[in-house]
Amino acid sequence: MVFSSLTFLVFFLPAFLILYYVLPGRAKNLVLLCFSLVFYAWGEPIYILLMLLSSFVDYVDGRLQEKYSEDKFKKRLFLILALAINLSLLAYFKYADFAVGIWNGLTPFDVSLPGVALPVGISFYTFQTISYSIDVYRGRIKAEHNYLDYLTYVSMFPQLIAGPIVRFSVVQEEIHKRSITESGFVCGMKRFIMGLLRKVLIANQIGALFDMIRVADNISIVTAWLGLLCFTLQLYFDFSAYSDMAIGLGHMLGFHFPENFVYPLSAVTMTDFWHRWHISLSTWFRDYVYIPLGGNRCGRARQLRNIFVVWFLTGLWHGAAWNFVMWGLYHGILLTCEKFFWGKKLEKLPKVIQHMYAIVLVVFGFGIFTFDDLGEMGHYFSKLIGLPGNAFFGNEFLWYFGNYLPVLIAAIVLSFPVYPWLLAKLEGKSTYVRSAAAILGAVVMALLFVLAMSSLVRDTYNPFLYFRF
Amino acid sequence: MEEHNLNEKQNKISLTDRCVIYAVSAMILIFVTAFFVSDKKTFSENENRTLAKVPQVSFENIKSGAFTSGIETYIADHFPMRDGFLSLMTEAERCSGRKEINNVYIADDGSLVEVYKTPSNTQKQIAQFTKLSENVESARCMLMMVPTAVEVYSDRLPENAQYDHLQQKTIDHIYGSVPSSLETIDVSSRLKELSDNPKSERLYYRTDHHWTTFGAFAGYEAFCDAAGIKEVPLSDYEKEVVSKSFKGTVYSKLNDPYFGEDEIISYKHPDWKLTVTYEDTGEISDTPYNSEYLSQKDQYSYFLNNIHPFVTITNDAVDGGAIALVKDSYANSMIPFLLQNYHTVYVFDTRYYKGGPSKFINEHKDISDVLILYNMNTIDNDTGIGGIF
Repeated sequence: MVFSSLTFLVFFLPAFLILYYVLPGRAKNLVLLCFSLVFYAWGEPIYILLMLLSSFVDYVDGRLQEKYSEDKFKKRLFLILALAINLSLLAYFKYADFAVGIWNGLTPFDVSLPGVALPVGISFYTFQTISYSIDVYRGRIKAEHNYLDYLTYVSMFPQLIAGPIVRFSVVQEEIHKRSITESGFVCGMKRFIMGLLRKVLIANQIGALFDMIRVADNISIVTAWLGLLCFTLQLYFDFSAYSDMAIGLGHMLGFHFPENFVYPLSAVTMTDFWHRWHISLSTWFRDYVYIPLGGNRCGRARQLRNIFVVWFLTGLWHGAAWNFVMWGLYHGILLTCEKFFWGKKLEKLPKVIQHMYAIVLVVFGFGIFTFDDLGEMGHYFSKLIGLPGNAFFGNEFLWYFGNYLPVLIAAIVLSFPVYPWLLAKLEGKSTYVRSAAAILGAVVMALLFVLAMSSLVRDTYNPFLYFRF
Repeated sequence: MEEHNLNEKQNKISLTDRCVIYAVSAMILIFVTAFFVSDKKTFSENENRTLAKVPQVSFENIKSGAFTSGIETYIADHFPMRDGFLSLMTEAERCSGRKEINNVYIADDGSLVEVYKTPSNTQKQIAQFTKLSENVESARCMLMMVPTAVEVYSDRLPENAQYDHLQQKTIDHIYGSVPSSLETIDVSSRLKELSDNPKSERLYYRTDHHWTTFGAFAGYEAFCDAAGIKEVPLSDYEKEVVSKSFKGTVYSKLNDPYFGEDEIISYKHPDWKLTVTYEDTGEISDTPYNSEYLSQKDQYSYFLNNIHPFVTITNDAVDGGAIALVKDSYANSMIPFLLQNYHTVYVFDTRYYKGGPSKFINEHKDISDVLILYNMNTIDNDTGIGGIF
């Protein structure tokens, strides 16, 4: 099930919230668990077994590590075993076809493709369970004793299928004891609705535009760039909206999930971008790959190796195809260059230039990200520079741009922190002005919510982008 | 914990926040209630389609995911105020300057034109048309592919709209691929000629995907030209405006009263002595029109009484000759014009007529002409194509 559907919004969520709020203390976790399992099984009726297995392995691992906490060797062995099982499941269900494809390309011994369908959210929950086992090993957290509570954490529907990647250390306390307040509901619901609006009214609309441009035969250079900008905006609004909705839902339930996106498109450098984009993933790789490999403590050569391992894996995490690997390495190279070559110089340039620098590189990168067919990528990229002889500018640009102008403007404006800025501006104003602004905001939000419902009822275009992650 | 406090502080709640959140929550609860309380229609008049049913609970269905996706379709189809939501979305997009909404162009003159998508079943159509023309033993076979408004009115599409005459290219491809024994009729030229004439009446409805009766007459003219038949001029007919409240299928995709209504014009020949037999229901009538449909949503069904697998029309005012039509709904408004040229008109709808029309045609030696007539917009999804042989 996805959040941006009538089924979730009008049936699942109200039923869940009513039960969750009405039932007493301990029963709340059970309600959350049951609804989470239904939520997952809704889209993956079979693969839910895989999630149960994966979480069971790490639960048992935690208990074993605890039992043998004095025996360094055994403790280590259990950790390695758990990692091996988790990673094998991920490797098989996500990368088997990709690996066999490479094998068939390199060797004369053809193996038929296993044709495994990717279980939704597997990359998210596997990373959560892995971080749990490692954190127990490192002694950062105590192993969880109650399997149902642990399963509640792994399967928790707000963050199950598209993140943020919430570590057990963040929610361990709240799994057992959390304060559920009326203000938490209001706050969370507001955040959820904002996310829903961003997904349905911006991401879906701009995504439809990108899909048109992507398949159009004759497009000018300007339109080709507009297309990539559209994909960037679509992915950002879709993905961050999903995190917004997850964080909002968590809030309603009494959980505090970490922020995952902080206006990444307003970054001034690529380093800055990665401090703002999918934070729960980049910090995961930092803490569980980069630093364990030695980070920057073992000399320049080791550091370079570590950076590229991390970015190779970051790319691969997003999907089992070469373009994702290329995208990861592209970012790895840019970050290395900023670290060692032009980072300092960039800082001296005017802010506008820095923004331009970052956005062009980000948009170009998402061009690599979106085409998993390298032939199609090459064809599209050649249009970016006019190689097939396409014009610099054409009427079709006016058509696409004109049809979607208001949405594009809204998307670009909302990519920058205008909302916090507005709030800060209002801070010093009179009560009268502030109330007027608050009422206006409330009315606009209610109207946009009705519009989002309309869009879901019409339901022409409502994709789920992370099925590959 | 400090961080959490910070969070709470940032998310300080005002009274207005409370109001809007509770208003939205109440709205959601009202919709849940309305959904369970409301009567479920089985058919949407507005969208002219059967609405989804509750999916069956079975292990297979649940395992394959068909059950859950069925539930989602069911909810969307029966959602309270569905039509109202459609209108609202259209209105919002229209006001934001959109000129193409839900695959419909809003033309400069305010009429609605369906977008033509890249066809995917052209080869199959060519194969079936060829098959029919080869199976027919003695009668002359003709093929008329009718372009829709997007092609004929391409100069009225909104400014900068991207349309590169794909429909005409597809027609040319089909015409070039069928055997020469199947005579092709160039109706596009006739329609475009009329479209260029500012004095001519509308050839397509403003809100429907069909051609108007006037457009259908242009089709009749093109047919007469190609078949070498003497055409009966429109001035011989009695003209009547039978409806001024027609909101067609394209309207339904947007469902916004802003786009207005169409009128339906009907022509009757004073000499007609007709017997129209609907072979499936056994109904017999003396007119090809059924005005009962004019008070319903689907007013185009006025022509030839909606859908029937097989219809026979005889006109005793005409001495001899018979033609068989293998066709879609576009033909329904053109067939009345053929009645003064043939004593008998046989009409096949291959979506429902099983066994292939060629068998019937070969058994009836009075049939001298066979006309295959389809419009370009719906043929690509037409389930009846396989029945043409």
